Amino acid sequence: MSQDHCQIKTVQMPNEVFLPFVIEQLNNGHTATLPLRGRSMRPFLEDGRDKALLQLCDYPKVGDAVLAEISKGHFVLHRIICIDGNQVTLRGDGNLSDEYCLLSDIKAKAVGFYRKNRKKIDRTDGLKWRLYSWWWTHLYPLRRYLLFIIYPHIPQRFK
Amino acid sequence: MKTKKGFKLRTICGENIIVAEGVENIDFSRIISMNESAAYLWKNIQGADFDADMLTKLLLEEYDIDEATARQDATQLIAKWQEAGIIA
Repeated sequence: MSQDHCQIKTVQMPNEVFLPFVIEQLNNGHTATLPLRGRSMRPFLEDGRDKALLQLCDYPKVGDAVLAEISKGHFVLHRIICIDGNQVTLRGDGNLSDEYCLLSDIKAKAVGFYRKNRKKIDRTDGLKWRLYSWWWTHLYPLRRYLLFIIYPHIPQRFK
Repeated sequence: MKTKKGFKLRTICGENIIVAEGVENIDFSRIISMNESAAYLWKNIQGADFDADMLTKLLLEEYDIDEATARQDATQLIAKWQEAGIIA
């Protein structure tokens, strides 16, 4: 028997198993704080650093950052940029391309983010997120260049 | 002592985790997970009044270890569970 019964450790689970469990807890009436992985919501949210506070989403609207199952077992936490009837277009803030899903694929929405290890939440109905969202979404035509300036990456073949 | 109500053991991807059903928010960035032996004990003491003797006995029934080791593990585990706030 191991001596460490309650040691602190980081466990990574496959999204396709873990997130349905999280969604089950949301359906049971909980909210969930979830560590974020991936770079697709840059520059506001950083891989492995920030956390999202999620709750069930009854009425998704354009601009919401939502947890969506865009294909079987493939989940993303991205921003809604268009809703046309039942069809939803999503785009990660750090992405240039869109994803598509149905309204029924939207499982939860982010009501706030814990950034940079802060205890205080940046709520998505707060001024900071709304200002950032307005600017960042309106600067979409320049996004490719902005991302390159913020996160310069020269592919190996050009070095 | 007893296990507190509302702390349910679930197995996700081979990890035994404790889900606090009584709290509004579940923080998945800091969740209690248990190894196989702790989970075995937790399952077997649900709703029962338990002490270190009972955990020791359960460990001896399931694992091939001597009593002193089992008792030491049981005592340590109780302290850890108290620290985590899942028993009272």
